[in-house]
Amino acid sequence: MKRFDIVIIILVVIIALGSLGVLAIRPQGNYSRKYVEIYSENRLYRKIPFDKTTTERVVVKSNLGFNIIDISNAKVRIIDADCPDKICIKDGAISKPGDMLVCLPNKVVVEIKGESNSENDALSF
Amino acid sequence: MSKTRKLTFISLLVAQALVLHVIERAIPVPFITPGAKLGLANLVTVIALYTFGFKETFAIVVLRIIMAALLGGSLSSFLYSIAGGILSFFVMFVVMQLGEENVSAIGVSVAGAVFHNIGQVLVASMIVQNIRIVSYLPVLMVAGLGTGIFIGLTARYLITYVKKLISYGIN
Repeated sequence: MKRFDIVIIILVVIIALGSLGVLAIRPQGNYSRKYVEIYSENRLYRKIPFDKTTTERVVVKSNLGFNIIDISNAKVRIIDADCPDKICIKDGAISKPGDMLVCLPNKVVVEIKGESNSENDALSF
Repeated sequence: MSKTRKLTFISLLVAQALVLHVIERAIPVPFITPGAKLGLANLVTVIALYTFGFKETFAIVVLRIIMAALLGGSLSSFLYSIAGGILSFFVMFVVMQLGEENVSAIGVSVAGAVFHNIGQVLVASMIVQNIRIVSYLPVLMVAGLGTGIFIGLTARYLITYVKKLISYGIN
């Protein structure tokens, strides 16, 4: 190990842990409404109001393939898909605004968004 | 080194990179984060950087990625590989310019692994048009750190022998 080896390794650790920290402490805010937004091939496919009682199963179908999204018990997960790697299924469940599930082969993005009461549309970060 | 000899070494390295790529594909991804993998083929890029120059290594990287795509892969997986591969190659080349007394194959390979991830994540966020995909990056960087150190250590052992082999070829 030489001088710059250590510098590079420390830099990577600092940047990675720093940004992980920033992501972890992102403001959760008090959202009055939460939505699950499902994008398919870069277009909004469904926008579903999301709370503890939402129970829904959405099948996203496109020319690229299908993903089955399950919303229940205040959690969102992809339970089945025909993509080769199934990373979106292994990703597990999401529940907080800002969380997302991605299936790159099928170009499906599932995001939880929060909206607060104020007029100017708030966002999730 | 004669032209034919050089061509043979380049072809050998491309073939080895492809074999490593195929082996890697057979290994199930131990990580949950999308895109995390061992990056075994990067071993060949590091060795090429230490034994050849800029031009030859660039050719090896591009050839390997094109041929890997022909061996099975979609257009989008080709785009990820080419973006990650070329970005990581340039960064590794730049890091190497720090000089052999300052940086070893470990630092070079860690920088390469991390920038491979950065390139892929950027392409991914362009494909689904959602910049927030970059939030996967920190975890990928930690994974890249681990695999980068592993590949760097392996490359360091190998480079000594490959260099001997090549200088033997000249005489």
